[in-house]
Amino acid sequence: MANTSGQAYGLTTLCPIINGYASVFNSNLNSNTDSAPINQNQSHDKEIRRLLQALPSDEGSLFAKTDNTYFARLFVLNDVFFQQGNDFKRDQLKSKYLCFNSNFHGELEPYLTGMWNNNESLVREIWQHCVAFEQVNHAEDFVAYIKSCQIDTTLFFNGSNDKPLAEQLKALYVKHMFSEFVLTQQGKSAAETKQGFKYFLQRVQLNNIDSPSWKPGQSQIQAN
Amino acid sequence: MSNISGKAYAINVITPIPWWKALWQYIAFKFVVLFPSNLKGLINLSLIHYARWTVIGRDSFPHLAPSQPKEDLHYSYMMFESNFNGSWDQYIDSFSFAIPEGLDLFWRFNVGYPKSIPLHDFYDYIRFNQVENDHFYNAYPCAASNDVKSASALFDNLKAFSESKLELEDDEFLAAYNALLRDNQQHLGSMDVGPAFSPSPFSNAKEA
Repeated sequence: MANTSGQAYGLTTLCPIINGYASVFNSNLNSNTDSAPINQNQSHDKEIRRLLQALPSDEGSLFAKTDNTYFARLFVLNDVFFQQGNDFKRDQLKSKYLCFNSNFHGELEPYLTGMWNNNESLVREIWQHCVAFEQVNHAEDFVAYIKSCQIDTTLFFNGSNDKPLAEQLKALYVKHMFSEFVLTQQGKSAAETKQGFKYFLQRVQLNNIDSPSWKPGQSQIQAN
Repeated sequence: MSNISGKAYAINVITPIPWWKALWQYIAFKFVVLFPSNLKGLINLSLIHYARWTVIGRDSFPHLAPSQPKEDLHYSYMMFESNFNGSWDQYIDSFSFAIPEGLDLFWRFNVGYPKSIPLHDFYDYIRFNQVENDHFYNAYPCAASNDVKSASALFDNLKAFSESKLELEDDEFLAAYNALLRDNQQHLGSMDVGPAFSPSPFSNAKEA
């Protein structure tokens, strides 16, 4: 109904997790030895949660390596809740679900293709615990798989803007740098201000979107 | 739990809704899309990057293989998720005080929705139905939603200025530069790591 708002896309997915126990080999995250079996008696949902909670954050996140991701989240939906008392019928899910929800710039297919191409081993490691993921071998399969798990967004509110992430990051970098620059110029002469502004432009390179700029997921402001 | 990344908090709330009332909920959201003035309160709050409401029909949970048991549900479900700046308390308070009618429109058909006022019942409702994240990524942890918007405006104005004013004489340049600062003062401001804030009263209670 409303997966998009301008050029911003709101992806909502529920990927069913395999019931039962996992037989897991090789972890890029927590194992130093290839093909070492770990947690063989762990259920698939617990194994996914363990993997997700060990993922690097900020610049190290797989989403920092997935172009144009504004925000993304992963969580395991164990069940649905009821606080409404005994006078209502109760539901219980028969599967647990991996919820992968993302806000990004652009169209869905190239976004998911980029996510697979830049993070294939990690994506395999996480989604191997989901139903029917063994049939996913290529980027096209991954796109089709995620689409099969997609739930259309009913109402999407964009309180930010929908520009490409690189443009947003460049603008944030320039805003920060210019604000710092303005402070240093107070009380200076016209000639000094003009000279300083020209030097500022050389440093920030307004026409070069990619550099210098903030990195996706950057959690510290670099010393200038 | 990983609901916080820099200045942003990620909330998930999943609530039951009778399947036949879900149709009315669709119509309510359609109404909001057609008449976006209903979102004015959200825009004025100015602390949300992106938010969305997704109605999941009781027959819409993905079923991908015969080996996966089919869900047999009495209710449809509404999943709400938001990426906002500030703490859980600030967000829920702001929502309840700024757009109580909007909240009641968005959740009115959900089972057990207590209405947004009085606040404590609304607190309890959100807290009970919230699902914690296992991984949350924010592309700009040091920036708030307002920073993203103001940076974009400032960038465009700065670029226009740099393309048209550099050839002016020094005094004329200074006057133009001062005018640039005056016209863009609302867009200026350095950024840095945000202050630590409490994840949620629910989390605090669990840690206690």
